[in-house]
Amino acid sequence: MGSPSDQLFDPLPGDEWTRVSPALTTLRRLTGALPLLIIAIALVITAVLIPSWAWLPAVGAAIALGSAVWVWRWAERNRRSWGYTENAEDLLITSGVWFRRLVAVPYGRMQFVDVQAGPLQRLYGIASVTLHTASSETAATIPGVPSDEATRLRNRLTELGESRGAGV
Amino acid sequence: MSEPTTEVTGRRTHPLTGLVQGLLWGAAAFVALIGSILSRRDGGVESIVFGVGGAAVGGLLIGLLAGYVSWYFTRFVIDATELRITRGFLTKQSRRIPFERIQSVDLAEPFIARIVGLAELRIDMAGGNESRTTLRFLPLDDVRDLRRLLLARAHGEEVSEDAMPVDDQRSLITRVPPQRIILGTLLSLDFLGAVLALIAAVVTGIVSKQILIVLGGVLPFGGAVVQIVAKRVLEQWDFTLSRGARGLRIERGLLSRTSQTIPYARVQGIAIKEPFVWRRLGWQRLEVDVAGYAAQGDDNGNNGTSTLLPITDPALAEAVIAELVPSRTDRVTLDRPTRRSRLFAPIGWRFRWIEARTDVVVSQIGWIERTTCLVPHHKSQSVELRQGPLQRWRGVATVEVHTPPGPVDVDGDHLDAGAARRFWEEQLTRI
Repeated sequence: MGSPSDQLFDPLPGDEWTRVSPALTTLRRLTGALPLLIIAIALVITAVLIPSWAWLPAVGAAIALGSAVWVWRWAERNRRSWGYTENAEDLLITSGVWFRRLVAVPYGRMQFVDVQAGPLQRLYGIASVTLHTASSETAATIPGVPSDEATRLRNRLTELGESRGAGV
Repeated sequence: MSEPTTEVTGRRTHPLTGLVQGLLWGAAAFVALIGSILSRRDGGVESIVFGVGGAAVGGLLIGLLAGYVSWYFTRFVIDATELRITRGFLTKQSRRIPFERIQSVDLAEPFIARIVGLAELRIDMAGGNESRTTLRFLPLDDVRDLRRLLLARAHGEEVSEDAMPVDDQRSLITRVPPQRIILGTLLSLDFLGAVLALIAAVVTGIVSKQILIVLGGVLPFGGAVVQIVAKRVLEQWDFTLSRGARGLRIERGLLSRTSQTIPYARVQGIAIKEPFVWRRLGWQRLEVDVAGYAAQGDDNGNNGTSTLLPITDPALAEAVIAELVPSRTDRVTLDRPTRRSRLFAPIGWRFRWIEARTDVVVSQIGWIERTTCLVPHHKSQSVELRQGPLQRWRGVATVEVHTPPGPVDVDGDHLDAGAARRFWEEQLTRI
């Protein structure tokens, strides 16, 4: 999947993807894999405490552990798949490992830009930037943008959007 | 969009609003209550009668109280730049509608309101699920005046509330006779299917002498038949399309009348739908994408609001389209799905294509109901290229041109991956 020779989802010639912060991987591992790991440990302890029914929590622990490993690996693979680039006329966003997506939004179609950061995201210094157009299908959200870059991106997109504003 | 406010300014809507709104909500509450009463199988006839009566009185009381409270706390004011509506008893809500954000202004007369000569104003803005603002109820003439004022201001004209602009001259494009709408409904596959299912249920019930089977089949299928007729026939009754200086005007409805104005510049795209039986008769239905309309319908925006012409012949359809989406018919590119995409649509893949013209992008899909969509380049919001694992295996990809939510969807499904990428790149230079 996604071999380097696969150029279908490359940016336009002359552009490079700006990748999102590795902190996104850490954050997703923390919120996704860690709870599963805790559940797995709790189930192992249960299995030790009730030996006569040990198989039931053991199976649960194996599933939880397997999911934790999967989330752990998914977090990094998915993080690497995210990228965005600003060219003269459009914002390009790519994402996805299995279901790949490449969306281009002309600056003039922008309605407004959202920057969102929860407490954990703020702790890791990242935010998600969403570019809203009149179409809900656009779904142009970039997660895991470093906070400074998120502010810069928002200001630049707003500025470009206003100067080109065609809207709806 | 909402902010807390303590100031109480502006005028109230018509005092009968509480009553009408109460009756409407009361009817809804009655329907909700009656379901739970009838589903209780125990008890005799008296308990059912008592339950129904209780539901009617209870629903009405709840509705009237809620209607009165909501009317009492609703006020609106129009100033130089915006329309402001404050409402709410416990949670105060204040909505500002800047004139330049207005996408369309509709006038609706729900049946009960129509009896007492009241109407509601619906203002659509772009974006979000709460983009529609409804102001109810005002005397019909007031709503007409308000609409004229808002439409004029939305076009940047400086008009004061005292010197109302005169309604511009309208020329009739077409009036769809009710019998044609009835005929069209009778010849639609979902209606025929519902009727066949209804007949099958009745026959099965009679043969097996099981009253429960009859009831179990008649209720849902009969309900579907009634719903289809009510939705298509009653809503589209006396459908009139006319043309004015600022946009198209649609007037329709038998019991509840609706009058919509679609400003020319606000049309985001047009869908031509040709259901199975209709296609053989050369009939079409036109639907239109206007930002804000879809918030009221289902996922595909299939509500009466987006209907531009409920039933028409191709010549008239073409003329109306040409008026709304001026486009040269020259073809720039045409892409069809490859044979490799049979996996995803064994029959349908032959009937799909996406075509780019100088001004518009056009796509067609469907072999039972054929849908052709047109979107002007300058109205498309963004362009997407995507590929799932199965598509990667078959070497195909999908390209999609995004439009505001509504009946119009321009997709190039399962094109050859290289062709999809090329279309995506070229479309970027066009929009």
